[in-house]
Amino acid sequence: MQVNGLRTMYAWKEMEAHSALPARKVNVEQLCTSGGSGVVSSSLPVLPTTVEEFPKLPDSQNILTGKQIRSDQLTSHYTPFVADSGNVQPLYPSPSGFSSDLDISSILPQERHTNSTPLVSQSLNEVCLPSAYSSYTGAFQVSTSNIPKDPTEVTWCPDSDQGILNCSDDGITGNNQIQSNSIVMSDDLNKQNEWWSEIMNEDWEELLNDKTVAESQPKVVYPAAQSSQNMSVHQLQTHQSVPCHSGEISAVTGPLSTATAAATKPRMRWTPELHECFVNAVNQLGGSEKATPKGVLKLMKVEGLTIYHVKSHLQKYRTARYRPDLSEGMSEKKITQSQEIPSLDLKTGIDLTEALRLQMEVQKQLHEQLEIQRNLQLRIEEQGKYLQMMFDKQCKTTMDKLHAPSTVEEPSNISSELTQSTAKIEFPDAGSNPIDSNKTQITEQIGNKRKMPDVEPSNHKDVDAVTDSPSSAAKCARVDDEEA
Amino acid sequence: MKFGKRLKKQVEESLPEWRDKFLSYKDLKKLVRLTSAAQPCSRVEAEFVQMLNAEIDKFNAFFVEQEEDFIIRQRELQERIKRVMEDDGTGGSQPSEMEHAKEMSRIRKDIVNFHGEMVLLENYSSINYTGLAKILKKYDKRTGRVLRLPFIEKVLKQPFFTTDLVSEMVKECERTIELVLPVADRGQSEQGGKGELVAAEQSVFRNTIAALMTMQELRKGSSTYGHFSLPPLSLPDLQLPSPIPILQ
Repeated sequence: MQVNGLRTMYAWKEMEAHSALPARKVNVEQLCTSGGSGVVSSSLPVLPTTVEEFPKLPDSQNILTGKQIRSDQLTSHYTPFVADSGNVQPLYPSPSGFSSDLDISSILPQERHTNSTPLVSQSLNEVCLPSAYSSYTGAFQVSTSNIPKDPTEVTWCPDSDQGILNCSDDGITGNNQIQSNSIVMSDDLNKQNEWWSEIMNEDWEELLNDKTVAESQPKVVYPAAQSSQNMSVHQLQTHQSVPCHSGEISAVTGPLSTATAAATKPRMRWTPELHECFVNAVNQLGGSEKATPKGVLKLMKVEGLTIYHVKSHLQKYRTARYRPDLSEGMSEKKITQSQEIPSLDLKTGIDLTEALRLQMEVQKQLHEQLEIQRNLQLRIEEQGKYLQMMFDKQCKTTMDKLHAPSTVEEPSNISSELTQSTAKIEFPDAGSNPIDSNKTQITEQIGNKRKMPDVEPSNHKDVDAVTDSPSSAAKCARVDDEEA
Repeated sequence: MKFGKRLKKQVEESLPEWRDKFLSYKDLKKLVRLTSAAQPCSRVEAEFVQMLNAEIDKFNAFFVEQEEDFIIRQRELQERIKRVMEDDGTGGSQPSEMEHAKEMSRIRKDIVNFHGEMVLLENYSSINYTGLAKILKKYDKRTGRVLRLPFIEKVLKQPFFTTDLVSEMVKECERTIELVLPVADRGQSEQGGKGELVAAEQSVFRNTIAALMTMQELRKGSSTYGHFSLPPLSLPDLQLPSPIPILQ
């Protein structure tokens, strides 16, 4: 849809930006596709991520300087791996933002050691991100398996023509218009284009003229900076405001460092209540076609909600209402394939309702099993964590005892501890004691075989215990009994 | 069958737009293999973690996006149902009854597919989680490091794994279906649109079946059964319909 139009729009930008890096193609449509329009074969060269792009483009992908090289190496290393659909997907978590703020790059090297680096860079990038880009950032975020941060896409924004809005350090939404737009099939191009340009024009004008929007910056709460040891991934608070007037969204933000003063990267997580609020606002404004994002935003009065969230959501909403078959993802495509599917006649004997029932049954089954599985997984991890704690404590105690004058008890303590540790094959290093870890590794191999049969039943028991008894202390005691 | 193969099969069977959103298990495994067992340096670990983070970002973004779509669609479906239910009384002339029946039929199909897609999203979440857990275990095993536990804890809190909302919507959907699907409406009018509807369901249905089978396989006892493994899956006897042979 828009993609076709877009392609021409940013073809020129692309050429300007393209440099000597190996042409890594990104299937733009694939980036955009979330819900069903066929993947078009066209692809655009990805903008290189080297530093030298900076001066050229305000919206370079990657601001890491020293890391650039590494990332490139990393990238090229991974290139062959991920090219499933023919796309090169550097898995380096390239920041979704764009920035030419060199301050950030000076900060980043320090954090290189941390696992949170990519996220830092992401958020930092977005801080400096002209608000124009943020919604597209979200777009790229969504289909992240490709390198979505193709700056060429960013040039959609008429903003670049009107001047980059630097005013808002607006939150970045994980929602994106590109995705929602892509749902529309090509024959809807015009219609969508209209809507699209409407939104763009009216809102960008509003944004430029109206200061109030800038005020409605997300007062997003983001967690305190993570320690550098954390494998920080985004943490979401899933709670959302209920009635509009209560106003609070706890949007998600990346667990990023204090370096990002303003909104980092609030990923918006919608809820039915919030959506209800949205629909009410839209209806008040006269329907989904008439309503403007700005108007809706104002009406909703939800703290933390940005116009970008609203805009992309509105786009999805419009699509869902006026082309429900499109937003239904696969349905349309499947229907057109009906001729080719040989299994078509399998269901002739079965009444449609029956067929639907059958399908429902299977789906219900899967759902149920998934629920059970998920609960189990949660509990297992919980228990594992607890055991780990206990193990660490024991380790400490042993350490103390080791250093204690009375060495008689040593062997039995260590051995009992080690039998415990064999069950936790995953963390031989947990204790900081080199002796222990050595022994652990040895006994691990022996104990592994010996212990396995023991572990299994106890595992089952534990799983049952987990589901039955709420008290983990009881569990622990039981485990101790079995293993000591 | 090994997880990698299972995952691959699952991906193949999945809805086309989803295919590149799954875990890049194979690639991560390669990376782990390349990691030196003797001295896992922090640089390599950092890279590994970065890769994992990127994957997680991918999941999150996709998941939240889909979730949003589902929220919108759910409401629209509910509206449609309300409208159709209301029309029930006013229908008098033949055409509007026909229309009514057609719309009902469409709604039913849509709801069932909607339900299916949501469940598949849950499955998406689950299988990616499993893959992550496995790869972390491999990494720890290979390098002797303790990456798994803290990392998994973070994963548990990620949006893509916190599927409560989707789960709730699924249940809601099931309740709605009860209202909408007639008990024993051996269809006359239903026969008409059957052809194209069958085609439409194929994808979701097949995907669902594939997911169930994957789960079953993954949960069978394995050689590496350990402390963190799930017990084997016990599915009640599924009366799987004839399309199954096609899947195999």
